[in-house]
Amino acid sequence: MTSELVIQNLHVTVNDGEKEVLKGVNLTIRQDEIHALMGPNGSGKSTLAYAIMGHPHYTVTEGDILLDGESVLEMEPNERARKGLFLAFQYPVAVPGVSMANFLRTAVSNVRGYTDQQPTSEDGRPGVIGSNLMPMRDFRRELLDKMDEYHVDRDFAKRYLNEGFSGGEKKRVEILQMAMLQPKIAIMDETDSGLDIDALRVVSDGVNKLAGTGLGILLITHYQRILEYVKPDYVHVFYNGRIVRSGGAEVAHELEARGYQSVREEFGEPELVTA
Amino acid sequence: MTTQVLTKSEIGLNGDAVATLSQQKQEPTWFTDLRHRAWRFFEEIPWPTGNEEEWRRTRLTGLDIADYKLASGTPEASSDAADLVPYLRDELDSINAAAALVTEDGTVRYRGVDAGLAAKGVIFTDLDTAIRQHPELIQTYFMTNNVAVDANKFTALHAAFVTGGAVLYVPRNVQVELPFHGVTAVSGGVADFAHTLIIAEENSQVTYVDDLISQDSNATFHSGVVEIFAGPGAVVRYMHGQDWNTNTWHFSTQQAQMLRDAQLTWILSSWGSRLSKINLEMQLLERGGHGELLGLYFPSGRQHIDHHTMQNHFADNCTSDLLFKGALRDRARSVYSGSIKVWPAAQKTDAYQKNNNLVLDRRARADSIPGLEIEADDVRCTHGATVSKIEPEYLFYLMARSLTKFQAEQMIVTGFFEEVLNRVPVEGVRNKLEQVIARKIHM
Repeated sequence: MTSELVIQNLHVTVNDGEKEVLKGVNLTIRQDEIHALMGPNGSGKSTLAYAIMGHPHYTVTEGDILLDGESVLEMEPNERARKGLFLAFQYPVAVPGVSMANFLRTAVSNVRGYTDQQPTSEDGRPGVIGSNLMPMRDFRRELLDKMDEYHVDRDFAKRYLNEGFSGGEKKRVEILQMAMLQPKIAIMDETDSGLDIDALRVVSDGVNKLAGTGLGILLITHYQRILEYVKPDYVHVFYNGRIVRSGGAEVAHELEARGYQSVREEFGEPELVTA
Repeated sequence: MTTQVLTKSEIGLNGDAVATLSQQKQEPTWFTDLRHRAWRFFEEIPWPTGNEEEWRRTRLTGLDIADYKLASGTPEASSDAADLVPYLRDELDSINAAAALVTEDGTVRYRGVDAGLAAKGVIFTDLDTAIRQHPELIQTYFMTNNVAVDANKFTALHAAFVTGGAVLYVPRNVQVELPFHGVTAVSGGVADFAHTLIIAEENSQVTYVDDLISQDSNATFHSGVVEIFAGPGAVVRYMHGQDWNTNTWHFSTQQAQMLRDAQLTWILSSWGSRLSKINLEMQLLERGGHGELLGLYFPSGRQHIDHHTMQNHFADNCTSDLLFKGALRDRARSVYSGSIKVWPAAQKTDAYQKNNNLVLDRRARADSIPGLEIEADDVRCTHGATVSKIEPEYLFYLMARSLTKFQAEQMIVTGFFEEVLNRVPVEGVRNKLEQVIARKIHM
């Protein structure tokens, strides 16, 4: 079965401001498709990414997000992840003292169902670290293979998650995590931002490799640049909280030629969104 | 529940008991005198009223020492760990040690000493034996220049009733790789007065793991003292793990004195007790000393944990580095107050003090009061304190990768302690600390 993520007339407000950031987004992403979502800063692109993953800071006021026909709106972020959604963060956070390998082993074990085999501690709480996880040897072997494949230095396994990683390293580790978790649909939030050309190439290679494995990708970007390396099937122009134009690769080229200014002229100045 | 035939006699904590205890132990007059003097101090020093600065945040409501009895009996030590009851044997097995001493209710239950160490002049024994066999050592070091008998009401009470505990003497140039392991276990209703005395002579190296555990969940009272002497160039590592049940009153005064170029790593973990009041002082008496002081605590329920630390720099070119980290759950409370004192002669002091608290529940509360008192002009002293909650963005990131809220919190809390855990030099201790943290998260 081909999975699909359907976003229907999605309206989202920021919790503490009651300001509507998304104003009716419609988008369908299937496995094996790459969608590029392009838009100027402040147009609400990251809000869309966070809303799909269930960030508590945002509230869906109207519309729905369906994964394979099932609404994810009532699901916690971890349940969405288990259903096959993945968000590659624009700014991956550094969690002090948490090693990448330790964290990823738990995540992989959840996604692959190891942790729900049996009650895992005396008090029956599920998913306790160190019990009912993917066997260490299997996990290690797979992790090291994937690290080599996605050009992440092996000693990153022992390092604390994103702590002291360069911008490029953080993004590569995001791709690595994506490769380990094998989601159905991935939302990549400005994965290309802040990367030099070499890092961009490595990251793009990773995205292309994963795209070939049946992943559906929503590539959110401000710049045309990454589209030289990753070829989208669909390009959407995002502006003022909604998609204003959709098409094939030609939309990106058009945008490249005319700039976001042309979009502004056509659709008017938005209210400034700071979220 | 296993039934045990106890050979101990139980005596209340009063002036007559001091004489009874000393007589029962057949102690020399000089030690009996010390006990009596201590008892007089105890009677003279008033109970804290709560108006004193150090008692402002820690109240002793509910404490009545008349509820607790002194347990002391004839030593019935075994040198076979298999003779120990399981909880003591487990504790013993947790550390791969050079030598171990297990005391339960003031009575030695197990004594495992390496003959090779004795041949090198190392003394490792219980206090009663040390008083009989090495009186000069005890007369020189026991509550003389280090922790004073009248330092506070609890040190006075301690000296009056001291029982159990261990004495470790390491001669000059003797280096012992594996740790010494002291286990103090206490059962319900007992007042415990364990004393740890460590003397590391010039250029010696020694590691000591001191574990305090409860036999059951009934209320107990502990008033302990730890004294550490690090001679010139000595390298001492001391790890104190307080893991009483949550009905125990815990009072502990610990002090380390360091001579020229001595190095001390001092790690304190406070997990159990109903209420803990702990005073730690590191005295850098001669130049070139380096002290590291690490602390961990994780009160839950209605536990109250109060640490006071003092990095006391008397001499020049010394460094001290303190890091205390605590997580708090439920309605728990913690108090950390710390002081760096730099005397006029202590030029080129480099002192650091940091206390971080992670408050997990709305009704838990952490107070942190750092302090500096500097009388020299060429020093570098830094201190910092934080009280924070779990970062929502950490939680979202981990949950977006499929971790449940509980798993994510567990990971964040363990990660929070990691900064201290990765500085723990003994693997067995580190493992135990990780287990306790996991246990506290699951409580």
